[in-house]
Amino acid sequence: MELHINGESRTANADPSMPLLWVLRDELNLTGTKFGCGIAACGACTVHVNGQAVRSCVMPVSAVAHQKIRTIESLGTAEKPHPLQAAWIAEQVPQCGYCQSGMLMAAAALLDKTPNPSDAEIDAAMTNLCRCGTYQRVRAAIHRAAAQMKKGGAA
Amino acid sequence: MKRRTWLLSALGATGALVVGWGVLPARSRMGSPELMLQTAGDVALNGWIKIAKDGAVILAMPRSEMGQGVHTALAMLVAEELDVPLSRVRLEQAGADSIYGNVAMLVASLPFHPLDSEGGEKPTKIKMAEWVVGKLARELGINATGGSSTIADLWDPLRMAAATARASLVQAAATAWKVPANDITVANGLMKHASGKTAHFGEMAAGAAGATPQGISTKARKDWKLIGQSTARTDIPSKVTGQAQFGMDVRLPGMLFAAMRMSPVLAGTASSMDTQAALAIAGVENVVQIDAWGGGTGGVAVVGKSSWHARQGAQAVQVQWQNPSTALADTARIQADLLKALNTESGFTFHEQGVPTQAEKAAATRIDALYQAPYLAHATMEPMNCTAQVKDGKVEIWAPTQVPQMARDMAAKVAKVDKDQVTVHVTQLGGGFGRRLEVDFIGQAVQVAMACKGLPVQLSWSREEDMTHDFYRPMHLAKFQASLDDKGEVTSLRIKSAGDAITPRWMARAAPHLSGPIDMPDKTASEGLFDLPYGFASQHMSHVATKSGVPVGFWRSVGHSHNAFFSESFIDELAAATKQDPLAFRLNWLKDAPRYAAVLKLAADKAAWGTPLPAGRARGIALHESFGSIVAQVAEVSLEQGQIRVHRVVCAIDCGTVVNPGTVAQQMESSVIYGLSAALFGKIDIVGGVVQQGNFPSYPMVSLSQAPQVETHIVPSTRHPAGVGEPAVPPIAPAVGNALFALTGKRQRALPLVV
Repeated sequence: MELHINGESRTANADPSMPLLWVLRDELNLTGTKFGCGIAACGACTVHVNGQAVRSCVMPVSAVAHQKIRTIESLGTAEKPHPLQAAWIAEQVPQCGYCQSGMLMAAAALLDKTPNPSDAEIDAAMTNLCRCGTYQRVRAAIHRAAAQMKKGGAA
Repeated sequence: MKRRTWLLSALGATGALVVGWGVLPARSRMGSPELMLQTAGDVALNGWIKIAKDGAVILAMPRSEMGQGVHTALAMLVAEELDVPLSRVRLEQAGADSIYGNVAMLVASLPFHPLDSEGGEKPTKIKMAEWVVGKLARELGINATGGSSTIADLWDPLRMAAATARASLVQAAATAWKVPANDITVANGLMKHASGKTAHFGEMAAGAAGATPQGISTKARKDWKLIGQSTARTDIPSKVTGQAQFGMDVRLPGMLFAAMRMSPVLAGTASSMDTQAALAIAGVENVVQIDAWGGGTGGVAVVGKSSWHARQGAQAVQVQWQNPSTALADTARIQADLLKALNTESGFTFHEQGVPTQAEKAAATRIDALYQAPYLAHATMEPMNCTAQVKDGKVEIWAPTQVPQMARDMAAKVAKVDKDQVTVHVTQLGGGFGRRLEVDFIGQAVQVAMACKGLPVQLSWSREEDMTHDFYRPMHLAKFQASLDDKGEVTSLRIKSAGDAITPRWMARAAPHLSGPIDMPDKTASEGLFDLPYGFASQHMSHVATKSGVPVGFWRSVGHSHNAFFSESFIDELAAATKQDPLAFRLNWLKDAPRYAAVLKLAADKAAWGTPLPAGRARGIALHESFGSIVAQVAEVSLEQGQIRVHRVVCAIDCGTVVNPGTVAQQMESSVIYGLSAALFGKIDIVGGVVQQGNFPSYPMVSLSQAPQVETHIVPSTRHPAGVGEPAVPPIAPAVGNALFALTGKRQRALPLVV
């Protein structure tokens, strides 16, 4: 099966019903995307499909063949962070860090559509669960990144 | 009463007389250079510090990072003493020597009243008991990350190890340059002399290895540059790019994946299985029957080419389950049993002062209340998992664990090899909260790996297996009885609680060689009840330890987590009964506990306690000491469409000397949310031995839209560092419950809170 992941074409030898999450993690070794619940309830597995935040643990891989898939691995790097990643560091968001890939991908999809989100818009979009309770810093970091992107720079 | 304390004191006195008091200085945990991993080009100076060729410092890291920030804080201690930038300190997993064992955690298990140690010098009986337990802990060398003890435990040994390394490096430079050591300065990892000579640590490491500097002391507080400064955590950059490696992210050549399916009945096992349907699935390679390890539940593991294939296979196996021989756990029955135990058994007395029976007889008014708290699951975001390889008589495991040596011992037991044939790699932990003090999943992974022909295999649990096979916070009930005299003054407080003791069960399954034939009284059962700071003249606190058969474990802040809800809600009841403001009532009874009063006042001031709030909102306050730290919280609460809404939590903490204030704030926020999830939603029900909640929809947690804004205020202190990761969990449930009382007039006496 042909998949378009992070701007590259990848061939996955996967069962069509296999969720995208496990194809990413176990077939393609893209382990930044996490397993949390398996029922799309926690958001740890959030990736982008054609720019939309999608919970990959319930997304059959056959449904996203030939779609543009983006994972945390291509959001930014330590050297060239996405404004959200820079804001995440500035606000010292992560604790254990396990849910943060999903948080960042959900936030990136939000800012793509809503560059200057209100608190209510953040509430509605950010339904990912974090057991370490990093929520208020997630909110602050989204606002910080939004402000920075408006100025056209890194956070 | 308190026979154990007396016994330990006597032992301590004897030990001290025989070998003297000074047996446990920080130096006793310095360790020799051979304890560190021998790596080409690096020079070890003691059991903690190695110097790289380029002058970087390599620190032996025995503790696990599960979000609490200890990898950064411990590196800060070393960077401070060595005067190197924090970015020049690298971590390397420590070995299994006893210098890396956790002494502070064991010492903290002594059931002393914290007020007894509030003054300057500790009473002799406490010093003696702490000495003997410290000595024992030092011998046992149990490496565990838990009990909010990391900084308290390593504060002196690590700074001393780093200061010694620094003195050795300076001495080596002094010898090489033929100048007095005192004339050499160190800054930013560079040693300099007025003559213009300069060198980084790597250039002097070989000379330093043979140096024997004398009279070493750690830096004076006034000279600290890093300790006490909010410092960016070193683990965060890799956690925003998806590069941090958690247990489930381990990838090895030829690695297989395994899924676990356990008996739905806790502590059950698989008696037989039909594997045909599972093995018929393409991508499923093997099915292995798994024993119950580490006090857990038995079942089957299915091995496949991916976790997905393995999980499908696990569902397809036909299993005959064998229930445990004991009665099947049932929360309704356990609750009734606890109530009966409270009414019929006297329990173990953890604290007694004054003459409670006399005060009760003379009482003009009596106030009684019964409080209860349910079982809870840990629900770490990363489910239980372990990767294992068993090959040529050797075992290698990669695990998110809080107890690497216990994991090693479990692996050796399962694979029937010597402990020194086991290598443990500790990964990042996707949450711990006490769940990863258990080694059930380690045993399972090793047993699967034994059937994988030398290939590595990653065993991981589904969310449902994780939630239904936890070691739960035990259900507890507590009966309160206060006596008031005819002036309305509280004259006595009696508390009896009942529930399973955790420590003896944990010792039996995780460290059986340390487990005794009878259960010793467990401080964790009564902590948060027997150790209250309020100066009521007569007090009696006892606990009835039960054995429900439910696997119970340490849940972030342990006994404090529910006992603080009981005690701080009841204190609020007393304030209401005596028609006093909850803050004023507490302060009135804290006259002999000034540090507690200061924390409470700070929280109240910052929350503007007593000032008007918008209509429909109310404040609640709570104060609690745990893990050596005192925390007060004020919660602002309203009801929105009949749901409890917490808007703001003002949190004050006195945790002694602070290493990284940024981490303290993070942990206050984290603890409030963790405790609030339990207060609002947390409840595990067990019917016929089967846990009823299986995933987040039935065991919800606070989400972003429901999260309050948490403000942290730290009381400046020069005391020894105390706990940070847990102490802010206990006060949130009573703070919210007390706010609800202020709002509705209805007293909350059970968790989760219901309006």
